[in-house]
Amino acid sequence: MSEENPPPGKQKQIAISEFFEKNKHFLGFDSLQRSVITAVKEAVDNSLDACEEERILPDIRVEITRLNGDRLELISQDNGPGIPRGAIEHVFGKFLLGSRFHAIRQTRGQQGIGITGVVMYSQLTTGGKTSVISKVKGESSAVYVDLGIDTRKNKAIKSGERRDVWVDGLTGEEVSHGLRIRTEMKAKYQRGRQSVYQYLRMTSIVNPHASISLVVRDGDGDVIEEGHWMRTTDRLPTVVKEIKPHPHGIHLGTLQRMLREAEERKMTSFLRHNFSGVSMRAARDILGKSELDESRQPRRIKAEEAQRVLDSFQKVKLLNPPIDCLSPIEDLLIKKGLSKAIDSRFASTVTRDPRVSQGNPFQIEVGLVFGGDMSSDSPIEILRFANRVPLMYQQGGCLLTKAIEAVDWKRYGLDQPGGKGIPKGPAAVLVHLASTNVQFTSEAKEAVASNEEVLEEIRRALLEVGRGLKGHLKKSSQRKKAREKFELINIILPEISKKSSELLSREEPDLAPVITQIMNAVFCEEELGWDSERKLATCDITVFNYTARARAYTILAKWPESDMVRIEDNPLGGRKEARGLWAWRLDTLDPGSSATISFTMSGLSRGDWNDTEIFFRGNGDIIGANRIDEKLLEEMRKRESLDAAVEEVRTRGDAVVSGLTERADDTIGEEDLANDTEPDLGSLVVDQGVDE
Amino acid sequence: MSINDSKPKEDVIEALHNVAAEMHDKMLKGIAPTMTLPVRTKSNIGFDDKLGVYKYGKKKTVRDATSLGSARQMLRSLHVTEFIEEMINSGKSSTLREMYYISEAWGNGKFHSQNESNNLAEDLEIVTKCLREDFKLRPEEDGSRIIGNVTFEERNRRGDWMRINCRDDVGDSGYGVPYNVESEKLRLVDEDIDFIMAIETGGMFDRLIENGFDEEARCALIHLKGQPARSTRRIMRRISDEWGKPVVVFTDCDPWSFRIFASIAYGAIKTAHISEYLATKGSIYLGITADDILAYDLPSDDLSKQDIGALKAELSDPRFSSGWWQTQIELMQELGKKSEQQSLAKYGLDFVTDTYLPEKLAHPDVGLAY
Repeated sequence: MSEENPPPGKQKQIAISEFFEKNKHFLGFDSLQRSVITAVKEAVDNSLDACEEERILPDIRVEITRLNGDRLELISQDNGPGIPRGAIEHVFGKFLLGSRFHAIRQTRGQQGIGITGVVMYSQLTTGGKTSVISKVKGESSAVYVDLGIDTRKNKAIKSGERRDVWVDGLTGEEVSHGLRIRTEMKAKYQRGRQSVYQYLRMTSIVNPHASISLVVRDGDGDVIEEGHWMRTTDRLPTVVKEIKPHPHGIHLGTLQRMLREAEERKMTSFLRHNFSGVSMRAARDILGKSELDESRQPRRIKAEEAQRVLDSFQKVKLLNPPIDCLSPIEDLLIKKGLSKAIDSRFASTVTRDPRVSQGNPFQIEVGLVFGGDMSSDSPIEILRFANRVPLMYQQGGCLLTKAIEAVDWKRYGLDQPGGKGIPKGPAAVLVHLASTNVQFTSEAKEAVASNEEVLEEIRRALLEVGRGLKGHLKKSSQRKKAREKFELINIILPEISKKSSELLSREEPDLAPVITQIMNAVFCEEELGWDSERKLATCDITVFNYTARARAYTILAKWPESDMVRIEDNPLGGRKEARGLWAWRLDTLDPGSSATISFTMSGLSRGDWNDTEIFFRGNGDIIGANRIDEKLLEEMRKRESLDAAVEEVRTRGDAVVSGLTERADDTIGEEDLANDTEPDLGSLVVDQGVDE
Repeated sequence: MSINDSKPKEDVIEALHNVAAEMHDKMLKGIAPTMTLPVRTKSNIGFDDKLGVYKYGKKKTVRDATSLGSARQMLRSLHVTEFIEEMINSGKSSTLREMYYISEAWGNGKFHSQNESNNLAEDLEIVTKCLREDFKLRPEEDGSRIIGNVTFEERNRRGDWMRINCRDDVGDSGYGVPYNVESEKLRLVDEDIDFIMAIETGGMFDRLIENGFDEEARCALIHLKGQPARSTRRIMRRISDEWGKPVVVFTDCDPWSFRIFASIAYGAIKTAHISEYLATKGSIYLGITADDILAYDLPSDDLSKQDIGALKAELSDPRFSSGWWQTQIELMQELGKKSEQQSLAKYGLDFVTDTYLPEKLAHPDVGLAY
């Protein structure tokens, strides 16, 4: 919006209130229902950004109270760094419309005009002021101030400023740092898919490091809706780096503006300094193709010349922009976020590698949860996010939705009436697009614009989670069948035997041969549990031989091996076959007999481990386990030894070059982590350990 | 012939024990218990020349306990056997619904819906060649209503025979047919009618009564209440046998009504094991026919997907194999329409009694002109 709507301060003839009124549809204040969502959004986004920058784990509280006549009171409180006294007016009273096109990075991005819009809207609809309490760490007291906006001067008006100790009304403790905003506005609180509740729920999913709570009260103080979403990780999102724009993603208007404001004297240095991916050779090449002299002054470049430069950008081979400017949520954290917000039986998540489209780095993450409380005969829930910001409107016109519709979900076990469109079933699908430059369909920034490369990335990620779902469904149907058989032979059959013998006054028959005839298979059942006393995850694998022959097997189980997670009790011993894959050789199982493998693991929290996979080696199939693919296993081992070698080199390198910067060190660490999560071994992907 | 030439109780218990013995014998041999039943679909009903009705054929299905569902069903039948044995020995009886609730105490053998218990009772009837009356099980369903100049004697709760004329001794709702219409409960005493007319819907039944059709056409009217209960079919059969009166059936024109007629005239698929007690051979389908929709230009509705499927199934149902039925069904498929009895009201309330029924009854194939 920066180009189309110059800052009102520069156009004095338009009153700021008029500007607000004119643009309120994309500022998010166009309806009473939406206004409160927008206000919460501005406040919460500010809190999350501030906490992230200061590396604070956010605690955010939102309280809404219905007042008379379509009025709401909104209170938003965080434990962020607070705003220094002198900056308060600036943050709350200025329309921050300045463009920051020189520095590009992934940000939550201001939707509209930030928190100032809230102060403005409150003043326009109620005439009231917005009260702010701000406490900066280390200061002895907090600043209390009421804010309004001088609509002619585009400036905040402060009143009632004082300093006092800030005691949190809820905990009764003095607040050491944080910000609290209280305002009144004309607005309506609504429940449902487009509500403050849904917005915060979605926000909590993609911000698993934040604790967020919402309490909504009616005029009598009765709670009418509340939500509490606790943090599930203490790991803050990685700090994103700013990068320069890439020539492939630039528009003529932006280029002209950059040229106008350039301080470089020569075009070559202009190109090299202001863009990423442009080497000296590339700069010369561009200028050559544009028929421009290298020493031309950027500020003197005419419009048609700029157009030639723009055209040449596409003709020259350029380096891709750096991709470490993105901050994905990472699959394990998405899984945690989803599980905390949605009760489900199965969760599968994928974080794809970053890619570049039209000069903009982007990265796709998707998650799918299935089962639990979700309704099975309505369309799945779609959770769309761009740079960790929930998208709540215009679902139908959004690229993220279209990508979901482009998948043949029937193949993965979801109902898709007519073979296309949004599938039906007890599932929710999350799509997160992280990018330095998310292209929206409109200024309202509610729907992502079409882009073939992004669509294809999302589709691939969805296929990956879809395969996971298919495997899960297959496994649960197998498990159900096995359970039925067990019920049949352990409960129903003995009763039939007992009852018929009673009725006929006969002896009870020997059921062992009957059971073998009915089952005629080897079954495997695993049970995962939690030893709360010893804080250990437990696993029992039982193999039943219901065939007429003796059987011998080696059983292999996947477990979430990591630096933190260790096997504790393991009476049967066995051996490690690969990372996260343990094997036990069983004694010969006679017909009608069973054997149980038990082991426990430390380093996990309750509920972290709720799914495993069992493999076997030996003759004859086992229901409930898969035959191990030796080729995949071999590949997996090779890869591991390679990783180990890399690790060794890295450790040694560290010792020698101890002066390596901290940042570089971090980068290597992250790459390592990424390798672990790469699902390139087909069905033999080893679960990643828990992060903490 | 009576449906209740009731079997000695020893025979009933023995027949039930044979079911249990089949299971027990299999287990002794080291294989999964089984229960053998006749196939209960249209593919296994055939016309019995001697009886003049459709009966189950020779196809058997063996239910074996290798699946949980079948095993449960077997366990249930053992519980039901035990329950029936207790009732027989203690001189009690229960309704099917009561048995459904009693099964709550059967643990893994309990029923999950009344449909399950009703079906199992039918299975046992068929396997043992006994009737549910032998099992001391009563249906929940009540019979239908009769109006017309016929006189019955019904044994009341005090054991006295009560004489009831179904025209003079009843109100507008008619005589309520009890669930047991066998000779120990109901006697056919006197009549002054020429035929029995079975009517599908209550609305049409009441219309004919209001118009005094029973007296005018000298008939007894029976309300079928949709798919007729066993007692309804049985009393028609008795009137037909004992008084020699023909049965004409007057229903809507849709595939489901055709099935109602078939269950009266030829026997129902579900109860084909006792067709000779329940079906009245020679029953006449009076209407509404597909021809009538055209001939009388009746208001009609489009056939639904289910209707179309049902019609298609009827084409291969042996009970509808006659040329006349094939023509009617094909005509209906062609029209794509169905019509209700009450659509005759298009021509006024009296049209059905003044014009439609007299014309249909006078048709040479029916021969009941009055």
